[in-house]
Amino acid sequence: MNRPVSPFDIKSASITGLALHLRTTDLAAIDAELDSRVTAAGDLFTNAPVLIDVSALDSDALDSNDLNLALLVELLNRHSMRAVGIVGATGALLAQSQSLGLIEELAMRSRARSNAPSPTSSTPEATEESLQRGPDPIDGATAAREGYDHAAVQQAVNFAVDHAVAGLTAPTMVLDKPLRSGQRVYARGGDLIVLGVVSHGAEVIADGNIHVYGPLRGRAIAGASGDTQARIFAAVMEPELISIAGTYRTADKPLAADVLGKPAQARLDGDRMLIEALKS
Amino acid sequence: MTRIVVVTSGKGGVGKTTTSASFASGLAMRGHKTAVIDFDVGLRNLDLIMGVERRVVYDLINVIQKEANLNQALIRDKQLENLYILAASQTRDKESLSQDGVQRVLEDLKAMDFEYIVCDSPAGIETGAMMAMHFADEALIVTNPEVSSVRDSDRILGMLGSKTRRAIEGMEPIKEHLLITRYNANRVQGGQMLSLEDINDILRIPLIGVIPESEVVLEASNQGLPAIRMKGADVSDAYSDVIGRFLGETIPMRFTEPARKGFFSRIFRSAA
Repeated sequence: MNRPVSPFDIKSASITGLALHLRTTDLAAIDAELDSRVTAAGDLFTNAPVLIDVSALDSDALDSNDLNLALLVELLNRHSMRAVGIVGATGALLAQSQSLGLIEELAMRSRARSNAPSPTSSTPEATEESLQRGPDPIDGATAAREGYDHAAVQQAVNFAVDHAVAGLTAPTMVLDKPLRSGQRVYARGGDLIVLGVVSHGAEVIADGNIHVYGPLRGRAIAGASGDTQARIFAAVMEPELISIAGTYRTADKPLAADVLGKPAQARLDGDRMLIEALKS
Repeated sequence: MTRIVVVTSGKGGVGKTTTSASFASGLAMRGHKTAVIDFDVGLRNLDLIMGVERRVVYDLINVIQKEANLNQALIRDKQLENLYILAASQTRDKESLSQDGVQRVLEDLKAMDFEYIVCDSPAGIETGAMMAMHFADEALIVTNPEVSSVRDSDRILGMLGSKTRRAIEGMEPIKEHLLITRYNANRVQGGQMLSLEDINDILRIPLIGVIPESEVVLEASNQGLPAIRMKGADVSDAYSDVIGRFLGETIPMRFTEPARKGFFSRIFRSAA
């Protein structure tokens, strides 16, 4: 006897989206900024699901109807972005979001590295220490074999769990083929590693960091969704353009002799892009 | 086992058709049953260079559209009994090349026991070029020692690695060979042309040969004779080396250094 085929299957799935951290309720200012950002990003934002994060707004704004959510959603639509949820809404704003059918996202946390306070860590000190240690890939079994101190292992595991929850460990994309002129790769939500050359006219984009273990001659865009902590590393730094979280630099302005064509990294210091030699 | 080899470059005028004609002829001269197909629909040239333009009755498009069968369209070379030419149509446009049709032609040629099928790609990255490379097992990337040609070759290499059947079906990648044509060692030394090292640094694929810049190529075209058949000429020797290397022989590179003759003649001139 054949069992009848179910009309559908339900499977767990996840999507990657953008979070819009509002600092103002001024829709005109938001509109103007979206115009310039979205244009600069090309089709990266097209049809991206967006969470509106209002937790940075002051409580007066949250309780009053200063922010007209319906108009904001329409504004995002005009920029081909689809509002799907809201984070940090209370009072009148929460009522507005419910009437618009936005999902109230309580669990969402920013993936920015700076705010990693972790409710599962035992003490603030422990969090601080494991942050400095970096996300060591330690699991209990390895630790037991090598006789690590139990408390330290627990800290490391907590750190890893927290960062997994925060979305920091989105899978890294690894390209083991050269990226040729005209090719474009986007590592959405994570880091990108290219083992070969990124040729002139090729483009590598990542929401996280970009590592190129061959010559970087094309364009590299790290922190594409606004992560200002993202960095670009290259074994041979001679890019046409590098950009981190929207701050960019073209080859029009030549790189300094100590980094041009050499192992180097690019990172942001405030609004300034620093390009420094990698010294081992 | 039939091997399909595409001769491609992206950029026009770098020597694809010259190379296709010489490469196919060279394989046939070594006794391999070889077909060479002109994919440059609308701007056919291969038949001219092969000296068979007056014998073209049916072409690739006729076969794809089932207006003729392969036996009617294949032109057998008069000197080389192992060599067959399938001309492009001069009167149709590139959109007449369907992927199914091209696949059928290639399958039919395989069934006729051809050892090598050489596909002469048109310039650009449009339908004709994509069809010429789609079913390839190996590729000759024809590149001149100048920046725009190298850049276009890089683009084509990207397409070979992502848009072809082998790439799409996750098979073993197309085997890539770099062929540098119109190489002038004196001008490289003078810095007017990119050196072999410069080109290798950008493209990073194995070099199968260097064809020196030579007026013999023009002479050969005018005579309707593939350059490899111009006995005693540098280009002919260089293409013969390419065939040997393609067939697995180890042959050192030639014609990569400035000619000594020039050096001696300068001395004699200054002495006189």
